[in-house]
Amino acid sequence: MQLLDRSFDVSTTPVAGATLSLEAIRGVEQFLFREARLLDERKFAEWLALWTEDGRYWVPRFHDQANPFEQISLFWEDKMLREVRVRRVENARNWSQQPLTRSAHLVGNITIEGLDAAGHLIVRSTLQLTEWRIDQRQLAGSVFHKLAATEDGGWKIVLKRVNLVNCDDVFANLEVFI
Amino acid sequence: MSLTTEALAAMVRDDSVHKRVYTDPEIFALEMERIYGQAWIYVGHESQVKKTGDYHTTRIGDQDVIMVRAADGKVHVVYNRCPHKGAKVVPDGDGCTGKFFRCPYHAWTFKLDGSHLSLPLKNGLEGTCYDPANPDFSMKAVARVDSYRGFVFASQSAEGPDLKTFLGGVASSIDNLCERSPVGEVEVAGGTFRVMQKSNWKVFYENLHDTMHARVTHESSFVAAREEAKEIGEMPFELLIMDGNGEPYEFWEKLELRAYHNGHGYMEAIFDPAAATRDPVSREHFAVLTEAYGEEKARQIMGMNRHNTIIYGSGSPHTVFQQFRVIRPISVDRTMIEIQTFRLKGAPDAVFDRALTYANLINSPSSNVMPDDVEVYKRCQEGNQTRGGDWVSLHRYLGTDKETPDGMVSTNGTSELPMRNQFAAWKQYMLNPAKTPTQADNKEADRAAA
Ligand code: FES
Ligand SMILES: [Fe+2]
Repeated sequence: MQLLDRSFDVSTTPVAGATLSLEAIRGVEQFLFREARLLDERKFAEWLALWTEDGRYWVPRFHDQANPFEQISLFWEDKMLREVRVRRVENARNWSQQPLTRSAHLVGNITIEGLDAAGHLIVRSTLQLTEWRIDQRQLAGSVFHKLAATEDGGWKIVLKRVNLVNCDDVFANLEVFI
Repeated sequence: MSLTTEALAAMVRDDSVHKRVYTDPEIFALEMERIYGQAWIYVGHESQVKKTGDYHTTRIGDQDVIMVRAADGKVHVVYNRCPHKGAKVVPDGDGCTGKFFRCPYHAWTFKLDGSHLSLPLKNGLEGTCYDPANPDFSMKAVARVDSYRGFVFASQSAEGPDLKTFLGGVASSIDNLCERSPVGEVEVAGGTFRVMQKSNWKVFYENLHDTMHARVTHESSFVAAREEAKEIGEMPFELLIMDGNGEPYEFWEKLELRAYHNGHGYMEAIFDPAAATRDPVSREHFAVLTEAYGEEKARQIMGMNRHNTIIYGSGSPHTVFQQFRVIRPISVDRTMIEIQTFRLKGAPDAVFDRALTYANLINSPSSNVMPDDVEVYKRCQEGNQTRGGDWVSLHRYLGTDKETPDGMVSTNGTSELPMRNQFAAWKQYMLNPAKTPTQADNKEADRAAA
């Protein structure tokens, strides 16, 4: 089972520095803004295409959680599970998405952290997220993206880790990606 | 007050229940006294308080309590209130208080069973009734505490059946959960989810054995899982556990619903002898259990194919995937679910991996399955506040359930027997005014705990 593959590197601590041109940094920032915008616009098919085949989406349950293998997670999803989530929220009989969840992601404080062991770029940002479905709620936290460079000069997501400030709190359902 | 015994009795009929039981805050307040003030309620598992001074806070109905491990190994449950000015002695959550409790306000201290230890500047209390033995100077212990195979329950009433009698036939689900470990022991592991539902607590209990809702409410998730399986050409575990809700009506009709006294019960599929050898994880598990118990018993343990079990007032253990959804009423229209996952001591790691995966996929706030449940519960809560009718139907297969020596069993798996059984218990509790524990009871409990 792919989700249990403990060799997947979830660490977000860089092992090497990264030197990017200003233009390349702007490219990374635009990539993050666009990713957030696809979620806000519920363009899930396009959002799914931002990922590598092997990419993982992780929202830990605990602060400083070491890995998703020994403890529960708010989200721990591979390609298959991301696709299932999209299929569900887009199903016509998605009772809990009537009305739909609406969101506004505000992404800021973007910093290039360095490279991981496989040479993926580690990028940190801060997220403020307003979500509405009947009730409005605020979510916030730090986000780590690990990005793989593509041949055409773009990026794909290898890991997106969202550290919510209230990760260990009581939650109403989290139906769409953060 | 409008809630006379007659009025309460009239709310539960054989085939229906008055909607007020879900929406009236006065009834909720009375439930906290008469159900949560009397029944044995699951507080937590002993493994959550391993060492001396380890504590875990939770709620028995509307009461904040602390489960704590004392130096002699005993587990105590005390109200989270300092007898001086009433401050909560420990913050909500888990922690270790050391050899004694110390209130953060004026430093009164208490032993780990709640009894008074000391306070600063005692001379200021000279000439008063201050006496460490006077219960007015101690944290109050919940009237009765007992544990069944490591599962700690407490009752706020000094009277009533003992824990084993209270659990009756449903204890067999706890047995089966424990026996899935080769050493017969489990521990809470991997963390706990807490999920809020905007509905009355009873709605969730009723839904647990509501087999008629699965393929209707959960269409979005089982269809999503099936579409995905088709696309990738296989149905791995993660999808399989979402797919089950899509079984046709004939499948649900064949299940057996067991109902026991006090509102308990479980849902059982026909004994599944193949369960032990179906997939690599089960085969590995089966081998370990065979070594511990012998092949026949091991096959029996793994073949006990229980879906949700109901321990009314406490929640729902799931034996096959080692979960316990603990149900905590917050208010008449808010319910909090604490989801615990268990590690089977001595079982292969892959079994725990599977339990964690199940928790993440099915029981977490991000579950693809649960939101549709939570949505329909909320719709019941809101619909029942309209003037569009007063009664909630419990008619399905009424009069066809069979008596067994220790309860009832359905003749059809879509019977609303479990709901009728829960309301029979509800009525019994609600017509029986709770005896507020007296000081004498407390002393009794202190002696028993000593
Ligand atoms: S309130 Fe606890 S010592 Fe005063
Ligand atoms: Fe359901």
